[in-house]
Amino acid sequence: MMKRYLFTFALVFSLCCAALSNIDVKASDSEPGAIGSVVADFKLPDLDGKEQSLSSLKGKNATVLIFIGVQCPVSNAYNERMEKLAQDYRARGINVIGVNANSTESASEAKAHASSHNLTFPILKDNGNKLADRLGAERTPEAYVLDASNKIVYRGRIDNARNASSVSASELRDALEAVLAGKPVAKTSVPAFGCSIKRG
Amino acid sequence: MTRLTRTALLGALALALFSSLPARTNEASALSAQQSGEPRKATASPSTLVVRELDLAGLKKLLSSEGREGRPLLVNFWATWCEPCRAEFPDLVKIDNEYRNRGLDFVTVSIDEASEINTTVPGFLKEMRALMPAYLLNTPEQDAAIQFVDPRWTGSLPATFLFDAQGKIVFKHVGRIKPDELRSAIKAVVSDK
Repeated sequence: MMKRYLFTFALVFSLCCAALSNIDVKASDSEPGAIGSVVADFKLPDLDGKEQSLSSLKGKNATVLIFIGVQCPVSNAYNERMEKLAQDYRARGINVIGVNANSTESASEAKAHASSHNLTFPILKDNGNKLADRLGAERTPEAYVLDASNKIVYRGRIDNARNASSVSASELRDALEAVLAGKPVAKTSVPAFGCSIKRG
Repeated sequence: MTRLTRTALLGALALALFSSLPARTNEASALSAQQSGEPRKATASPSTLVVRELDLAGLKKLLSSEGREGRPLLVNFWATWCEPCRAEFPDLVKIDNEYRNRGLDFVTVSIDEASEINTTVPGFLKEMRALMPAYLLNTPEQDAAIQFVDPRWTGSLPATFLFDAQGKIVFKHVGRIKPDELRSAIKAVVSDK
């Protein structure tokens, strides 16, 4: 009789453990910035201090959020390519939004930097890293592609080489082309070496 | 047994014991490492500092627990252009000095351009008086390298990983290290607690 109770207890216990471990798996699926998660509308000031929102800046077909830095040499290596990306896709209903989340860089420094590097796409100042935290952004440059319904369909590098002349894979552009063609993005998450976002 | 034979035997025994001791950071081990293709034992002293190039296969071998003789491994990924990497380096050197003879292997992996392997990278390491074996990762598959180290790492620098003797990550920190936090993690895995 006792043995049967023990067996039942062991069975219930192991089922509980299995259930708990499933919960863990689900929790890690919904980590910040996970592919497939939807980015809720947010408001952040631009570099003139004027409040902007995702809904006012987003593109008709997709939106690219790129975390950038003033002092990061990797991010700076991409200035021209980010500007070209914004210009190439603007007419195709995709808007590029830069985000400066470095607590060590002020809005006025970011504004001077954008002006000296001819960055014409809007740049937001993420004071307190609120957006970076929501998206799990850690690095500059780090790009996120949101489809028309603000669902994250790509996160990661812009392309595979700091030196523009050595680029042989452009995963960010590939993701945008896939979204425009109504196809699934082939590589949804591609890491790269870059500067850490300086959190406040 | 004559006194001479006894002395000769004792001498041979002492020599055998001495030569079987693991040589870690001297020039002889660096030379034999180069000859055998073994990636772990590289750097000697600041005056003879050599930064060795790693490809993806070399990185995988470096992080493998095979041949680690039960020692945990601390790996710091950095670059000379990375300001927080430079800022944390003096703390890393201190930690290496504290734990080098207490069962910890510590290597640094620079992700600077390969053209800087004999200039900027060793220049900075010499300035820091860094004695840990130093490598430079040169691979077109940087994304694969990052994912191999840790699938949850986005590649943000600096990044510091502590692997236990079985090759499992037991501590990681992205961004400038907190020295005491790292020391606590090391203490938990080195044999000399």
